[in-house]
Amino acid sequence: MTAAEWNLIIGGDICRVTPQGTLEHPGLPVIWGVAVCVAVTIVTAWGLYIPSGSNSITANRKSGFTVSAIPFFGGFLGSLWIKPWVLLSFKTATSVLFLMVIWTGLAGTPLPSRNLATVLTWNLWWSGIIISVLFVGSAWCAVCPWDSLGNLMVRLRVWRRSLPHFSLNFRVPKNFRNVWPALVLLVGLTWLELGVGITSSPYATSMLALGILLLAIIFLGVFERKAFCRHACPVGRTIGFYAQLAPVELRAKDMEICTSCTTLECYHGNANVDPCPTHLVMGRLKQNTFCTSCGNCARSCPHENVSWRLRSPGKETLEGARPHWDEAWFMLVLLTLTGFHGITMLEFWENRIRQLARYLGDSGQLIWSFSIGMGVAIAIPVALYLCVVALTRWSTGSSFSFRMIFTRLSFAALPLAFTYHLAHNLSHLLRESVGSGSVFVNPLGVDALPLSVNERHLQMLEMTVTPFALAAIQAVMLVLGFIFSVLVVRRRGMQLVPEGSRTLMTLSPMFGFAILMTAFHLWLLMQPMNMRM
Amino acid sequence: MMRFYLAALLTLIYLIFSTVNLSAHHVLGRPSYVLNEDSNTPSAMQVETQIGDYFVNYMVFPAFPRPNEAGRVNLYISRLDGGLAFDGKVEFSVRNDSWATWLGFSADEKKLGAQVLDDHVYRQGLMFRQRGSYIITANFRDDKAPYTIEFPLQVGAPSPYGPIGIAAGVVFLILAGIGLIQRRRSLSGQIRNSHTGNEKNQE
Repeated sequence: MTAAEWNLIIGGDICRVTPQGTLEHPGLPVIWGVAVCVAVTIVTAWGLYIPSGSNSITANRKSGFTVSAIPFFGGFLGSLWIKPWVLLSFKTATSVLFLMVIWTGLAGTPLPSRNLATVLTWNLWWSGIIISVLFVGSAWCAVCPWDSLGNLMVRLRVWRRSLPHFSLNFRVPKNFRNVWPALVLLVGLTWLELGVGITSSPYATSMLALGILLLAIIFLGVFERKAFCRHACPVGRTIGFYAQLAPVELRAKDMEICTSCTTLECYHGNANVDPCPTHLVMGRLKQNTFCTSCGNCARSCPHENVSWRLRSPGKETLEGARPHWDEAWFMLVLLTLTGFHGITMLEFWENRIRQLARYLGDSGQLIWSFSIGMGVAIAIPVALYLCVVALTRWSTGSSFSFRMIFTRLSFAALPLAFTYHLAHNLSHLLRESVGSGSVFVNPLGVDALPLSVNERHLQMLEMTVTPFALAAIQAVMLVLGFIFSVLVVRRRGMQLVPEGSRTLMTLSPMFGFAILMTAFHLWLLMQPMNMRM
Repeated sequence: MMRFYLAALLTLIYLIFSTVNLSAHHVLGRPSYVLNEDSNTPSAMQVETQIGDYFVNYMVFPAFPRPNEAGRVNLYISRLDGGLAFDGKVEFSVRNDSWATWLGFSADEKKLGAQVLDDHVYRQGLMFRQRGSYIITANFRDDKAPYTIEFPLQVGAPSPYGPIGIAAGVVFLILAGIGLIQRRRSLSGQIRNSHTGNEKNQE
């Protein structure tokens, strides 16, 4: 076998020409599919038959270490977020880029591949933001331009403590103190992205950016602290939930100091530093979900007891995060929406939507047909999960309520969603970001022509990494997601099983769910995918 | 139980690998921009969609028509089953695509012309005097039913100031509203304080 043939087997084609003459990314090569299947089989056997040592929840405070403990540059890294000017520099940079996105989208060329608004928003930011969670958790929220610009306009501050009398400071109504608003907006955002197709329209991209900015401003003006970030932001909540799996956290160095603290500057802020925007108290903080990484706690703590820590990525989903009904639904719908992104890129989806459109008499963008299809695509995995929870309750003979089992086991959906999302976005980012530097030279796309076939071909050939590396990373991601999911089922599931009948086999339905979702994600990754623009 | 799991896993693996040959999607109803490198024709905007039993392909030359510039719409209508071109008459008309039109105002439609099939294409010439967003409507009728297809067309660059102006207006209204409410709050606070002060003095 020649080296080229071997590369083709392990890496696949770089690009393919469809019968219609368009170019597409090839899917994951079969050999990697087989490898994932073998790994899933081994992990399943381990998950079902090898009992774990201990099932008790232990809030192991000693696990992980502070970033400042890293040799050589740890001190610099640890103090980075605590210095206000660092954060301000990042906020300024993201705000300038955001304003450029709005301007170029509204005033620039409608060609999505030549306009900064679409390339920066969808090719770079939207793909890259999920990957950033893997390294820096919810750090994006700290430099988010929606919040920075909103704060500047409503509270007249980007630096030091905001002036509270510029906001009405109402408390969020009790019925909305949850993540349902964010969930509704996330579904809406997906509908706009995949149904209406705002990703291919610079003008619509700008309008969306402006719309979310207005929402952020309204929330900042009406409600106390940052209610939009905590309850409504679809991007922030997605990042927040995924950040449960991040290897970094902003936490207290010494819990004893927090226990004896009576002033709670982390929660209330001080004369110069804003309070925690999402109402978190450092001494009780056990999950990243609502932490916006703003560093207010680190800057306001008089004991300098708050620091970035490196930790085991699965710690929160396994034990630290507390189950809540609304959050469980968010995680579950996140899983369905990530898969739905993949489904819409397949020919069978289009055929079904066309058939439905014919039946309904739908035309144009087939929005009605798409909306119905999207509803069904979300409902199927949700229904499957509901059945699995009911089956698990029956098989374990658990005395816990259906709702309790639903919420506790929903953490198993999170690693599956996150790793598939990473694998999917990685493909977009590495393949489609090539050559995107040109939009920074001509952000409005003045006199630009549509991408030629040659340019598209070159873009596909000049991948940032080799196809082999991309395929390997995608396969590893899927396996890691499955491993974490199995660990969650074992750890959280065993707490639901009555003492007398504690066998892992009783959790079989949940194992089956994790296998099915991983198999579905693998299948999706193995399909060829069209370029976004 | 292990045998059941093995069988289920094998079935899954079979399903995963047996359907690998699907090809990627093409999104209907969204504009795409085409650069024709094989001829001298300018770049075109293309929209594909379907209506009833027909597949419709609509192309605008040039891709970004400007005011007072001659343009053309090419419309291909073919049956979904078999691909046979629709042979009849297609009437083209145009109206403004604005908020006012959406709300039912100034919705007057102007006829562009009626075209017959010519070499599998319905060609309609265009020239707009004014910059703006328009909706082109193509009407045709077969033996069973009438069909109406609508396509958006942007002539000249859209104004960026409209959305920015609206956003700025909304922000101004929000901030003004907050300011007013805060002012009332502050006044009521002062009145309450003065009442409390008077009561204390009387005591």
